[in-house]
Amino acid sequence: MTKVENGADLLLECRSITKSYSGHVVLDAVDFSVRRGEVHALVGENGAGKSTLIKIVTGATGRDSGEMVYDGTVVPMEHLRRDAEALGIAVIYQELSLIPGMTVAQNIFLGKEPLRPLTRLIDVRKMNDQARELIDRYNFPLKPTDLIDNISIAQRQLVEILKALSGKASIMIMDEPTSSLTKTEVEMLFKIIALLKSEGISVLYISHRMEEVYALSDRVTVLRDGKLVKVLDKEEISPEEIIRLMIGHKLEEKAVQHELTPKGGKVVLEVRGLTSVGKFEDLSFDLHEGEVLGIGGLVGSGRTELVRALYGADSFDAGTIRYLGKEWVPSVRKSIEGGIGFIPEERRLQGILATQSITRNIGIPNLDLIAPRGIVSVKEEDRRAARGIELLNVKPPRPEQLVGNLSGGNQQKVVLAKWLVRDLKLIFIDEPTVGIDIGAKEEIYDHIRALSARGVSVLLVSSDLPELTRLSDRVIVLRQGRFFQEFRECVLTGEKILRAASGIREGDDE
Amino acid sequence: MSHHAVRRLILVGLMLALSALITVINPVFLSSGNLLKLLQEAAQTGIVAVGFTFVMITAGIDMSIGGVVAVTSMVCINFLHYTKVPIPVLVFLSLFVGALTGLVNGFFITKYKLPEFIVTLATRSILAGLALVIAVKDSLGFVQNVYIQNDSYLWFGTSGLFGIYRTTVAFLILGVGAQIFLKHTRTGTNIYATGANPTAARLTGIDTDRTTIGVYMFSGICASLAAVFISSRMMTAMPELGLGSEMDVIASVVIGGTAFSGGVGDVWGTMLGSLFLALIKNGILKTGISPWIQPIAIGGIIVVTVIVDVWQKKLREHLEARAKLKRLSAERGRDAA
Repeated sequence: MTKVENGADLLLECRSITKSYSGHVVLDAVDFSVRRGEVHALVGENGAGKSTLIKIVTGATGRDSGEMVYDGTVVPMEHLRRDAEALGIAVIYQELSLIPGMTVAQNIFLGKEPLRPLTRLIDVRKMNDQARELIDRYNFPLKPTDLIDNISIAQRQLVEILKALSGKASIMIMDEPTSSLTKTEVEMLFKIIALLKSEGISVLYISHRMEEVYALSDRVTVLRDGKLVKVLDKEEISPEEIIRLMIGHKLEEKAVQHELTPKGGKVVLEVRGLTSVGKFEDLSFDLHEGEVLGIGGLVGSGRTELVRALYGADSFDAGTIRYLGKEWVPSVRKSIEGGIGFIPEERRLQGILATQSITRNIGIPNLDLIAPRGIVSVKEEDRRAARGIELLNVKPPRPEQLVGNLSGGNQQKVVLAKWLVRDLKLIFIDEPTVGIDIGAKEEIYDHIRALSARGVSVLLVSSDLPELTRLSDRVIVLRQGRFFQEFRECVLTGEKILRAASGIREGDDE
Repeated sequence: MSHHAVRRLILVGLMLALSALITVINPVFLSSGNLLKLLQEAAQTGIVAVGFTFVMITAGIDMSIGGVVAVTSMVCINFLHYTKVPIPVLVFLSLFVGALTGLVNGFFITKYKLPEFIVTLATRSILAGLALVIAVKDSLGFVQNVYIQNDSYLWFGTSGLFGIYRTTVAFLILGVGAQIFLKHTRTGTNIYATGANPTAARLTGIDTDRTTIGVYMFSGICASLAAVFISSRMMTAMPELGLGSEMDVIASVVIGGTAFSGGVGDVWGTMLGSLFLALIKNGILKTGISPWIQPIAIGGIIVVTVIVDVWQKKLREHLEARAKLKRLSAERGRDAA
């Protein structure tokens, strides 16, 4: 049971790896090792340092200090992607890295196609044969001549795996491999992982889904805030234990416990059976006047897609929405005119116009008010901008300042200001405080609370658990695009949300 | 059958129908003389379009092709007027002009990450000016019309076996060769990969910069080659030769099914596209419609082609979503039962 770790049994060994980005320490002297032929899970909350550690192993980024030994070879500090590949480190990317428009075989052998000796032309038949051999060996449901465009996401993932196996992979790194798969597809992936393991290939697995980690892993490494918390052996692994280690003593903080008190009041938004194929399914809920309804769940659980559909930014396939008691088919224009605001997930990409002034940024969604006849009233625009800046305490308070030059917190304040200067009844807020300093965070929380006190309904999506627990009057947790659990009238903790998001149903204890 | 094949079949069908229509109005259309001319016309645009196809598959665009044609023809005229350089050497020098332009384009696009459109538009302007600068002038400084009298040079623009123009033969050889190169060599595969997903291509170890520079060089070489054939056929050349022909080239490639977004398309399509375009132009002449209609027709055809492609894609996606929704509700029904 207590197997002594010796050098020969370790495939990858990292000692006190440290990495910082512009002064901010992301990995702090982390020890990490993977044994030959084991399935090893790497877990931690967002920002715990998982991705950075993987990037260092695969050579996508460098390390500041620390030793790394792979398969008996000391890996130098200058370690590039192709060096890692030559060592046998293969990665299955979260964003699939296949070439659409090409066949399965072409993708597997991209850059290493078999050539005819004389003409140097690609030997298509040989390439397809070799691809078929690989496919047959793992018994995958693929044909070498299938076009990538015509196969499912799960099948594409299989192609990625074959692409890695066609080289000489001794470790296969999978970053959230199941986030876009259906249940049967996940089961197939598990079989494949078992198969890889039986061939002596190590699998390093990153996932947010506890039951997967639980079902698959031989060992689990838990990271928190850039530090190694613990390495769990097979016998020690349980979802509860992993979550406890991931969150740590954050749980004892008073602030994250929050008494939920649902608000009655009239129903502002009524959603029934909302479905968008492949994104979310059969969601129904009510949002009351002045209520802050939190939406919890893992990345990829359909939260962002849901609010985008409700706002009218994306279309949906089935279901009904009623807004203020009336049948409502959302479009962005109708939403704005009807008193609905939207704060998108990606501030830099979707929230701000970086090359425009604060005044312009605040003016854009309010053109109906500042330019009722098509001509912008500069006076009115300035008046509203000044009000927004004052209301939200934007720094520096210079209306002509380009928003791209503001700090993240102040950018987000400008995004909020766009909506606060008009009469709102409802606002969708997606990840309001990502990459924002604590001070600005608290200010934004105050504004969300003030909105709710004014009777504005808020639908809040957040991966920041304390944020979700502190602000919400009620929380719905989504899982894989479906409703999983609702929390109302109870003492809510981040742990409860995370457990639900991970698929652990709360017993009626406590 | 893939939707690309369907698309191609529709194009061929349309061409046959148009040919029939034109023949009914003016039977001269079917004369061998006219058809050979039509093929030659298609080849002149087509040779440039083959190179342009490579660029578009990498998701790029080459606006400099017209400038390359102009400068190359001026280089040829100069050498023919002032020197007795052997023709094979002259052809080599011509192709060098295009290759050099492509190298410059590719260099700025890859090393300085400048937008393809701007870079090639700038080189087009520079080359257009250069063509005027180096054009042969008379004593008053006006551009002089030089007639080409070198028989070996004129060989390129004339017809050979069965009256088929050598331009047409060159186009066929170039087209077939380019298609084989695209589909059956590693470099060809790299070109598709670079256009379809540059990040993935780089992760797979493909040198996307080199690939990009290569396609611009090839595009330049094709444009230069066309310049030789066109000036030979005309037995002279003006410094503005080729400027403005970009539209025809782009139309041929787009009608052929190569996507502006990159990663999709082939040379067969472009060859059909340039034939289609030549047919439209020839038809307008033969049916007595005002030739001023030509540019309007070409612009219209480009827009219609793109609209049809977008619709086709939307329809496919819509059908897929419908099928999925059906499957889901069926599953749910089974769960409930």
